Amino acid sequence: MMKCIVLLFMSFLYLFVAPAQTASTRNKYTLNGYVKDSHTGEALIGATITMKELPSTGIVSNAYGFFSLTVAEGTYTVTVFFIGYKAQSQQVVLDTNQKIVFNLSEKALEQEEVVITGEKKDENITATRMGIDKLDVKGIQSVPVLFGEKDVLKTVQLLPGIKAAGEGNSGFYVRGGGSDQNLILLDEAAVYNASHFLGFFSVFNSDAIKDIAMYKGAMPAEYGGRLSSVLDIKMKDGNAKQFNVNGGIGLISSRLTVEGPIVKDKSSFSISGRRTYADLFLKLSSDSSINQARVYFYDLNAKANYQIGDNDRVYLSGYFGKDVLGFGSSFGFEWGNATGTLRWNHLFSEKIFSNTSLIYSTYDYNINADFGGNTLFVSSKIQDYILKQDFHDYIDAHNGLKFGLNSSYHSITPGTVSLANSPNSNPLHINDKYSWENALYVSHEFKPSPVLSFEYGIRFSSFSVLGPGVFYTYDDVENTIDSLSAGSGTIVKTYFSIEPRLAVNYILDGESSVKASCARSTQNLHLLSNSTTSNPTDLWIPSSNNVQPEIADQFSIGYFRNFSDNTYEFSTEVYYKNLQNQIDYKNGAQLNFNNNVESQLLFGSGRAYGIEFFLKKKYGQLNGWVGYTLSRAEMKFAAVNNGSYFPARQDETHDISVVAIYQSSDAWSYSATWVYNTGNAVTFPSGKYSIDGQVFNYYTERNGYRMPAYHRLDLGATWQGEHSGWTFSLYNAYGRDNAYSITFQQDPNDRTKSQAVQTSLFKFVPAITYNFRF
Amino acid sequence: MLLFSVTGFACKKVIDVDLNSAAPQIVIEGNINDSRGPYYITLSKTVNFDQTNVFPPVTGAHIVMSDNLGNSELLIEYSAGIYRTSSLQGTPGRTYTLNVISEGKEYIATSTMPAVVAFDSLTLDKILLGNKRQWVFNVHFKDPAGVKNYYRFVEMRNSIVSPNIFLYDDRIQDGEPITSTLTIDTLHDRDLIVVFFQCIDKGIYDYFRTAARIRGGRGSQSASPANPLSNFSNGALGYFSAYAMRSKSMIVP
Repeated sequence: MMKCIVLLFMSFLYLFVAPAQTASTRNKYTLNGYVKDSHTGEALIGATITMKELPSTGIVSNAYGFFSLTVAEGTYTVTVFFIGYKAQSQQVVLDTNQKIVFNLSEKALEQEEVVITGEKKDENITATRMGIDKLDVKGIQSVPVLFGEKDVLKTVQLLPGIKAAGEGNSGFYVRGGGSDQNLILLDEAAVYNASHFLGFFSVFNSDAIKDIAMYKGAMPAEYGGRLSSVLDIKMKDGNAKQFNVNGGIGLISSRLTVEGPIVKDKSSFSISGRRTYADLFLKLSSDSSINQARVYFYDLNAKANYQIGDNDRVYLSGYFGKDVLGFGSSFGFEWGNATGTLRWNHLFSEKIFSNTSLIYSTYDYNINADFGGNTLFVSSKIQDYILKQDFHDYIDAHNGLKFGLNSSYHSITPGTVSLANSPNSNPLHINDKYSWENALYVSHEFKPSPVLSFEYGIRFSSFSVLGPGVFYTYDDVENTIDSLSAGSGTIVKTYFSIEPRLAVNYILDGESSVKASCARSTQNLHLLSNSTTSNPTDLWIPSSNNVQPEIADQFSIGYFRNFSDNTYEFSTEVYYKNLQNQIDYKNGAQLNFNNNVESQLLFGSGRAYGIEFFLKKKYGQLNGWVGYTLSRAEMKFAAVNNGSYFPARQDETHDISVVAIYQSSDAWSYSATWVYNTGNAVTFPSGKYSIDGQVFNYYTERNGYRMPAYHRLDLGATWQGEHSGWTFSLYNAYGRDNAYSITFQQDPNDRTKSQAVQTSLFKFVPAITYNFRF
Repeated sequence: MLLFSVTGFACKKVIDVDLNSAAPQIVIEGNINDSRGPYYITLSKTVNFDQTNVFPPVTGAHIVMSDNLGNSELLIEYSAGIYRTSSLQGTPGRTYTLNVISEGKEYIATSTMPAVVAFDSLTLDKILLGNKRQWVFNVHFKDPAGVKNYYRFVEMRNSIVSPNIFLYDDRIQDGEPITSTLTIDTLHDRDLIVVFFQCIDKGIYDYFRTAARIRGGRGSQSASPANPLSNFSNGALGYFSAYAMRSKSMIVP
């Protein structure tokens, strides 16, 4: 971290020297405006705006499609690029401040080969940041996943450095970090449980999503709160030009999106819904053990925006989703997320863009179960109330400054258990947890020369543990040795963190560059999960008097090169990550419904390092990518494996993804995806013994074994007509028996022997989806 | 997982896994209760996973059982690896210590026998699970108020002990009349059922709570399966339980 701080300090020095070099005697004027889709009016995020006369100048449109570029007076050829769209050039005489809205039109399929392609082709080389993956939502449409459900979380897992947490698990691991170390944001609101159906599907309906950015390296200073990555998902604003209905009927679920203008070109809305309907078929069964079963999930995304004058726009967006499992009236289990975001964009000047957000996010679950003539109720809830203020000052062509603050109030109800008819009912209520998280950040984008650029910043964060509550202190053998009762609103403990962030890019020549970055990140909400699958009942706990903030320091360096007139992009990145205050569990830990859950935890450290290779073909009828990661992720806990480093569960040595998409000249496109990874590190028994007449497995070391290697081929074909389309897919096309779990048990046919039984899911799963729009 | 098993997506097969061998570890199974002795202690060793389920008894151990009132006795080896008491009588409220010395190592466990809780009645019910009727036993008792109680139920059908682990604690029903439901896999008319109702201490509750997680290969669902929490020192597997017990039996009509 010291190196990082020195570099930061040097960069700050540069900030004060640099303006002298770049100062010009000519007057400066600002060109600002928005980049939009000409057909829908949807703001385009991440479009590149360049000036031909100033080759090293460029700016990227922000999350609301806004850009601002301040340069010396003159006449410029301004060109706007955006992936999948036709580039647009315009002559601008900049002798006064100018405001322009660029309306880009989508490339038609047959124009794919036309010379003027939409993307700024060498962005791979010129962008300062490394370790970012921008996923093209349209690209996701052609990548098949389980049951033909398009899924952003599954597609993200096909990128190097990002590993799937297992078959049918929406969780993922980024550069050796745990699955709770990813900040998943939907319109700025954290989504605490991103999976449906116990992890087989993600909560993100791709019809409602406009933009996805994945930060796996040094995250920008405006993000914080998780160690490993940020997955920033933005919902569609809705068509501002005309009403539109589109949807799809699939094997598992059906989708419908309605969007349109509220006031043409000024205000729009979008509403998307999705629901599974397997349960509707269950009802048709004559078997009451089936027809009383309830198994479904649904999602609702809604967003509206309104432009107030030239300088202000407000957005209101929300998500609501639920999973339901149940049986008649005797058993019910429901869980889901809800988020709401109210945003206000304001232009303080042609150069200063501001966004203010009020965010609410919640996740909860409820269980009811009949037993012994009584009914048991279980419930748990986590809630966030957040105020965010972000400023972006587009100072000039060489400097940009982002700064802002973030204040979050977290309230966690870990669990309440009660009985319907208990005479002296004394429900078990685990103490609620309250905390207040604050952050201030500043980040400077600085381009001192055409070949060198920096983005460096610092984030100051604090996390306060609040009352009311009882705070226990434990000894080594889990006994409570002290307790402190704190009243409402009192601050029990505050942790402060300073998180430097730095990214540097040095362009070697027109075709290659070297990038480096380092960053510290901290995490104060920790997920306790001791199961191989993502469970709706997994518990989030805040940092406390016992649980310290988790800290990660990441260093990475990469080489980026484009070939054949930028048709091929190649990159390789090496990273090293040092992790502090990591959490694991004592043997036999009781994590749920335990007021002393913190006494069940182990604290230790970790390290993760690896090298990633990525080769992408961006253009042509055949495109796609190959990614390979060689990596290691290790943990160290005094009480586990004699305190030596051991492989983390997510330690998968080799990880390969191949994605190929072929766009035929007719309306068909074909795709194939192949993945391979070394099996997870797991704990298998090394022996067995008998007790109470039963055979038990004997475990000796944590994560001493490996699951078998995982590999799978998926195939897809899409026919897209003007108003309708069909998607056919085949998951696990060569029927590999991938191990979902391995059970060590007594042989049911010969009780004197034991056997290992592998359970596999999903061989040859075909799916068909009908899509329509009108 | 359950859902996909039902819908037929899951498939199972027996595979070969190359497992390490482990140095044999001692396994101690010991009980004392408030019914008349003798009480038995069984000593055996672990074997490698690919070996047959024959577990070598540990012979020639020096075992002493004592209580907190100063009563103590040396157990005699009754048959290979099985040791028994001759004079001690289990009494609720007393704390028992088992001291085992074998092959130069000493393993110690203590367990406190809780006060007896009356086993009021045992009823047999059918619950409707869809259109399939599932037999369950309901154990009725009244939990004593103001103390933490831990219970274990052992089901025996025609003299065969069920492998199922049933536990209950009074966290949400302290001092109340409690009905605990025990499921049973198979049941026929005229079967003789005995349910043993044990009042156990916290250490033994934790042992069975964690044993239930890995019983019958269940550990595969845990990210870090581990041996049950034993109340023995020095790394011995197993447990030493002092429990108060009542039982009821019935013949399935």
